[in-house]
Amino acid sequence: MQQRIHFTQKLDELRMQLIRMAALTEKAVHDATRAYLENDTDLAESVVMNDAAVNDMEDAIDTFNLELLALDQPMAKDLRLIIGSMRLTVNLERIGDECVNLAHRTLFLSTRPPLPANARMERLCAHVQDMLTKAVRAFVDEDTVLAGEICAMDHTADELSLKVLKEAISTMVEETRIVERSVHVIMASRHLERIGDLATNLAEAVIFIKEGQNVKHRCKG
Amino acid sequence: MPNIKIASQSLDFHYGAFQALHQVDLNFEEHQVTALIGPSGCGKSTYLRCINRMNDLIPGARVDGRLTLDGEDIYAPGVDVVELRRRIGMVFQKPNPFPKTIYENVAYGLRVNGVKDKRVLDQSVESSLRGAALRDEVKDRLESSALGLSGGQQQRLCIARALAVRPEVLLMDEPASALDPIATQKIEDLIHELKRDLTIIIVTHSMQQAARVSDRTAFFYLGKLIEEGDTRTIFTRPRNKQTEDYITGRFG
Repeated sequence: MQQRIHFTQKLDELRMQLIRMAALTEKAVHDATRAYLENDTDLAESVVMNDAAVNDMEDAIDTFNLELLALDQPMAKDLRLIIGSMRLTVNLERIGDECVNLAHRTLFLSTRPPLPANARMERLCAHVQDMLTKAVRAFVDEDTVLAGEICAMDHTADELSLKVLKEAISTMVEETRIVERSVHVIMASRHLERIGDLATNLAEAVIFIKEGQNVKHRCKG
Repeated sequence: MPNIKIASQSLDFHYGAFQALHQVDLNFEEHQVTALIGPSGCGKSTYLRCINRMNDLIPGARVDGRLTLDGEDIYAPGVDVVELRRRIGMVFQKPNPFPKTIYENVAYGLRVNGVKDKRVLDQSVESSLRGAALRDEVKDRLESSALGLSGGQQQRLCIARALAVRPEVLLMDEPASALDPIATQKIEDLIHELKRDLTIIIVTHSMQQAARVSDRTAFFYLGKLIEEGDTRTIFTRPRNKQTEDYITGRFG
């Protein structure tokens, strides 16, 4: 017989809040990368504006979790969901911050002559978006196999970011006029690479919630 | 290697035709607190009462399998049950002090065992009350009736009474279920202190209490031992689905 119906409903509500926060963050990554690649300043400004909603959701979920811990004394998988959700929200909030940083790069670069299209940055944008989407799906479906794949994808994000850095350095050596813009491109690639790291943290939290295994610092590609 | 104080192998228990325990294999390490948990009727109290042969008193009761204390069969012919119960003390759900003075409650077991020397009795009462964290509260009224103590004090008096005969194992059957939170806290603190000298097995319906006081936890369901292990593991990532459902309150 199913018991603790009220508590189970609260856990379902927690999952729903996490999915809502993840959806907002996914939109932020989608918009920030598109704004960067298409030099869309309106979209970049909207990313900066919308970050407050992600922060508010983090606060709301923190409060909700605190009450669940204090009032319901969860155990085992319920406890792991709550501890894991705290990890998820911290990392989702940081992804939101990296999106804001990326939007600021876009806004700065829009005030300068455009640089040639950068295929590696396009790949990096698509790659970290894919990582985040899969991390969210792994949480929703409690799919630890998919979560493990995300850990392996982080290596590619790191490599792409490094290649962007090396290319930018060699371009700057040849043409000093673009140094300022190239530095911002390097920083943009760093923001994207960080989003990849944070998506990996999300995947690690999914594995912790489902299996109780702490794979932090071990789950790398 | 940890010393196994009590061990059961393939332990069955019948109340007449009803089988209350099925093939229970369980070891209890010395100086550890083990919590027995499970829904009402799962057999945890029956199991506890097998350990000091309290079930012997029930007509039609039958024990099969092996249950040992320091490797020696508790149910072997010729075992002195009174001596067994001296070595394995018990504290019950409801405090059950005798209608005597505080002093006489604690001295009772010693007197039954033939101790008459006043000095020995005084020392034992003093150390047992101290061991049960009750001495400071009652030292000036040892000749008052034990029935005048609060519920929490009465329960600690019962623990002092059990300690007076210097047991090696203490069985506790929901020892705090009739107490308020402050008195419960005192009993739980006491359990932490007592395990330095004793092996403790506690039956509790409170998951939080099991998690707080025990080193190991055993989950019983329908007379069977479902899972036993380190308490930290049982309450964070149990292996068995039934254990998880029970400790998360999904059934009971």
